[in-house]
Amino acid sequence: MKRIMKRVVQFIALLLLAVLVGRPRLRAADAEALPPPVDRQVDFHKDILAILANSCAKCHAGGQKKGGLSIDTRESLLTGGESGPVVVAGKSAESRLVALVAGLEPDAVMPAQGPRLSAQQIGLLRAWIDQGLPWEEGFSFKKTASAPLEPRRVSLPPDSAGSAGSNPIDRLLEPYFRSAGFEPGAVVDDRAFLRRASLDLVGLMPSPDEVDQLVRDKAPDKRQQKIHSLLKNDQPYATHWLTFWNDALRNDYRGTGYIDGGRLQITDWLAAALVENMPYDRFVRELINPTPQAAGFIKGIVWRGVVNASQAAPMQAAQNISQVFLGINLKCASCHDSFINDWKLADAYGLAGIFADGPLEMHRCDQPTGQFAPLQFLYPQLGSIDPKAPTAERLKQLSEAITRPENGRLARTIVNRLWARMLGRGLVEPVDEMDNPPWSADLLDYLATDLADHGYDLKHTIELIASSRAYQLPPVDEADDSRHDFVFRGPLVRRISAEQFVDAVADLAGVDYAEAAAKPPALTPSQSTLSQTAAGRAGARAALVNADPLLIALGRSNREQVVTDRPKTATTLQALELTNGTPLSALLEKGARQWAGRKLEPAALVAAIYRAALRRLPSDQERGLALELLGSEPAEDETEVAIEDLLWAIVMLPEYQLIY
Amino acid sequence: MNDMHRSQASPRNRRDFLRGASAATLSALAAGYPHAILAAEEEKLRPTADTVIVLWMGGGMAATETFDPKRHTPYEPGLESNRVLSTFESIDTAVDSIKISKGLKRTAAVMDRGTLIRSYTAGDLGFILHSRHQYHWHTGYAPPQTVAAPHIGSVIARTLGPLNPAVPAFIDIGQRFDLGEGEELKAFHQAGFLGSQYGPFLIPQADEAMASVRPPKGMGPDRFENRYKFYKKLAAQSPIGKFGSDYQKESLVRSLDNAHLLLSSPAAKAFDLSLEPKDSYDRYNTGQFGLGCLLARRLTEVGARFIEVTTEYIPFKNWDTHDNGHTRLTDLKAMIDSPLSQLVLDLESRGLLNRTLIVLASEFSRDMMTEGRPDKQVKDQVEVPNVIQELKYYGMHRHFTDAGCVLLFGGGMKRGYLHGKTADERPCKTIEGRVVIEDLHATIYRAMGISPKLAYEIERRPFYVTRDGLGQPIREVFA
Repeated sequence: MKRIMKRVVQFIALLLLAVLVGRPRLRAADAEALPPPVDRQVDFHKDILAILANSCAKCHAGGQKKGGLSIDTRESLLTGGESGPVVVAGKSAESRLVALVAGLEPDAVMPAQGPRLSAQQIGLLRAWIDQGLPWEEGFSFKKTASAPLEPRRVSLPPDSAGSAGSNPIDRLLEPYFRSAGFEPGAVVDDRAFLRRASLDLVGLMPSPDEVDQLVRDKAPDKRQQKIHSLLKNDQPYATHWLTFWNDALRNDYRGTGYIDGGRLQITDWLAAALVENMPYDRFVRELINPTPQAAGFIKGIVWRGVVNASQAAPMQAAQNISQVFLGINLKCASCHDSFINDWKLADAYGLAGIFADGPLEMHRCDQPTGQFAPLQFLYPQLGSIDPKAPTAERLKQLSEAITRPENGRLARTIVNRLWARMLGRGLVEPVDEMDNPPWSADLLDYLATDLADHGYDLKHTIELIASSRAYQLPPVDEADDSRHDFVFRGPLVRRISAEQFVDAVADLAGVDYAEAAAKPPALTPSQSTLSQTAAGRAGARAALVNADPLLIALGRSNREQVVTDRPKTATTLQALELTNGTPLSALLEKGARQWAGRKLEPAALVAAIYRAALRRLPSDQERGLALELLGSEPAEDETEVAIEDLLWAIVMLPEYQLIY
Repeated sequence: MNDMHRSQASPRNRRDFLRGASAATLSALAAGYPHAILAAEEEKLRPTADTVIVLWMGGGMAATETFDPKRHTPYEPGLESNRVLSTFESIDTAVDSIKISKGLKRTAAVMDRGTLIRSYTAGDLGFILHSRHQYHWHTGYAPPQTVAAPHIGSVIARTLGPLNPAVPAFIDIGQRFDLGEGEELKAFHQAGFLGSQYGPFLIPQADEAMASVRPPKGMGPDRFENRYKFYKKLAAQSPIGKFGSDYQKESLVRSLDNAHLLLSSPAAKAFDLSLEPKDSYDRYNTGQFGLGCLLARRLTEVGARFIEVTTEYIPFKNWDTHDNGHTRLTDLKAMIDSPLSQLVLDLESRGLLNRTLIVLASEFSRDMMTEGRPDKQVKDQVEVPNVIQELKYYGMHRHFTDAGCVLLFGGGMKRGYLHGKTADERPCKTIEGRVVIEDLHATIYRAMGISPKLAYEIERRPFYVTRDGLGQPIREVFA
């Protein structure tokens, strides 16, 4: 019925337009009545986009083509509508668009709905047209095409022996590299490989002995074996990935909401799930249809008082599961039909309603509509939800629908996150917008079906990636990884995370960070699960302590929102904390005392510290500088001070703070 | 000397400022993400202020006991609660038409330099939670939000950058976070999605400000300098260059350079309150808040962009008067009167008041009877007897959101001006010139030359610096 009405309205609109066709060009007098173009260079993004988005896009963009006119792209705008071109590049006075928005055609004033454009806005549009319609490269109003839902099996190219090796990733990348005209270099050496893999897989820098062992090892598959044994180290693995999941699942040991009982931790459940390497499909099911221990994720954060409808707890659950598990942004659609994708208000409420204990009235922009959306998952074809069933039963149905094998998107989203975590940039970017095209659909689809084929074993995918030649290629320095024309050439250079830095420095200092910084670990029950870390290591790891100024400065997330990507650049506030903050100086002071206590000769001390910190010996110049700092025959307390400064300088080195 | 430095850094023209800014500042400003989106019709706004100082009366400052006094009802046992509007007498101010509450004598003497708003209406957020209202005041948005909303100081830092590159653009003085509602306070003392580089430089206690900008404890300036030189030499030797990571490497080294620049810059002396002459120090020293005002003045002199000084919010302490309102207000007014007036006078005598906007505000007001607003009362949190038999019940103990006071000095505001009006009888609600947070923010932004319609792009949608870009500057308060 609705559809018929819509057709009728469209038909009338077309008729009206037909009447307009063939109107003459602007008369000179009219042109004089137009507001003048602004007298400066306009910026598409700053000056023009808002006008087009607010006043034109509703009817002429994102698939809408009233009167045949689409402004999705510069080309479609130039093409014009049923009545012909609407803009003449370089000639705003001759552009019909200007006449329409200026109201020179009384029966065809644009925008047809909403407020008229101001003289200032028209002046900007005119200047923009006069300046040749500069358009942001790659920008389109067209909503992203939806990515396919179903898994897609990819057959591997033949293993051309000797070149790419047998890792499926490398076999898939071979044609990719070839078509990109890129000749991958040799893989990095053992030391660089192990530092990278150890930080990525278990969050720790390898010990100098581990490095030596690997270098000495003659086995052809020694890296493969090392990767395997790192991943078998359940506690360090779980502690490292706890940070990733705490960010994504918005789980923290302290935070807003706890004072009013408006929030629950899931730490114990999460730690246990990571230690046992729970299959990912079950992991998702248990978060959506939770036991009390895992209930915190869908519970959301509930503040005391009245909350905007788009942030009611069931809506938070809908947004968060869509973002984290499916790479779908439902935030816009929780308030109104989305402008940036195809999700509608009813889709968001249909999903949110599954989590609600009573009927959830739809609110548009926080105003009640009196309507209720049918309860259903975003992809109803994956399974229906019984609206009459109690909440617990609906959650069970939802958890099953979302993890059904036909949902290729679940696996694609997580393998893309793992790839991004280990290679510095996703196959799809941003990692929360899985409708964007991947730079290699074959690789993405292969990794996704491979994960499902292996019982959703995340360690399997991590191992597969780490074993590939792609992962072991020389590092790539990329200032802007968001470029449209990104070409994969190897792992990007990354900063180590707050937790990795603190753990590494604590190891170098030989002290327990939790103790040195007077930060009690945040957990009690999980302590027993996770505190038994690598042998010989003291104390709780940074992932387990409450946030402090050092961790926060280095980018530990404020877990009030879902976080799937941490800031990448160094900032001054961060450097200030590293330069004079108490937690780091306390740590280094204790570390210096430890090193001084070993009573090594200065040259041996410098060598030992370099080996411990950087897994290499100092060069002659470096040794010379360090010895100069340590002085020839210093008093004992002076030695400690000098060692502390040496430690500080070393942990500030890019060589220390980057993953390369 | 300080004035000269400041006028050099002062962005009469933004392009000139950029030319003078360090390369690091430049790259921070040029960093395209998040993009700024400005609704097109906005013309270039000429700023009337270069610096904002927010003086935050955390906990709910009762308007009728401070800047909007009503009929005084002296204490006597047996007094009916409902009859009490003000527990203090009114006093004259330098402006004939403005009377304020007893205990604010020095402030009364500088009222001719400022604008007083009596019609600020707090957000309607339901059941009262101080930190949530404070979040709303400072970001313009009530939590939770789908994206982390930035503090107004972060928006200003992101949009305008530092005034003097050696002084952090957003400095927050006086709030500790390990007390009640600390997590909720942390949630808005941050730059949110704008990125942590625009977050606050935190100075929890004004009298320890020096610790924030000096070498770590136990390290003298010589050792600090040597350590840094040593680092530079070592970094030059480090072989990471061969991994081809110039971008990341430079970003790290540059950030350390900037930190070092700040710590060794002459501007760092502004943090050292021991350098202040004793008589001046004493005029400010009513405790941490007073010293915070002194620190704010010193930082303004060297080119701070946005400073907030708080009386510190601690549940049931300071302005959060759930009991003994009358007695406590006597002390609270004594705490702010001298430093507030001195700050105005000092900035004026240094020629800085014209370009510095001082905003004194609180998340809401208080009343003896009404919790929330008269037409929409919310769940009571404070016990108020019908008849007062003990002094501890004498005072404004409930949370009142319909009318509160905001003081504005300098930065292009009118002098000796009164905006808005409240009823003289309970519930003393706003009857003229209602001001909501969007408009107050728009006023501050407008003074700083920022459009209230400015938006930053996050997750492909615009996030406006005032909600939906709807904030309207209060035209009447501009000189």
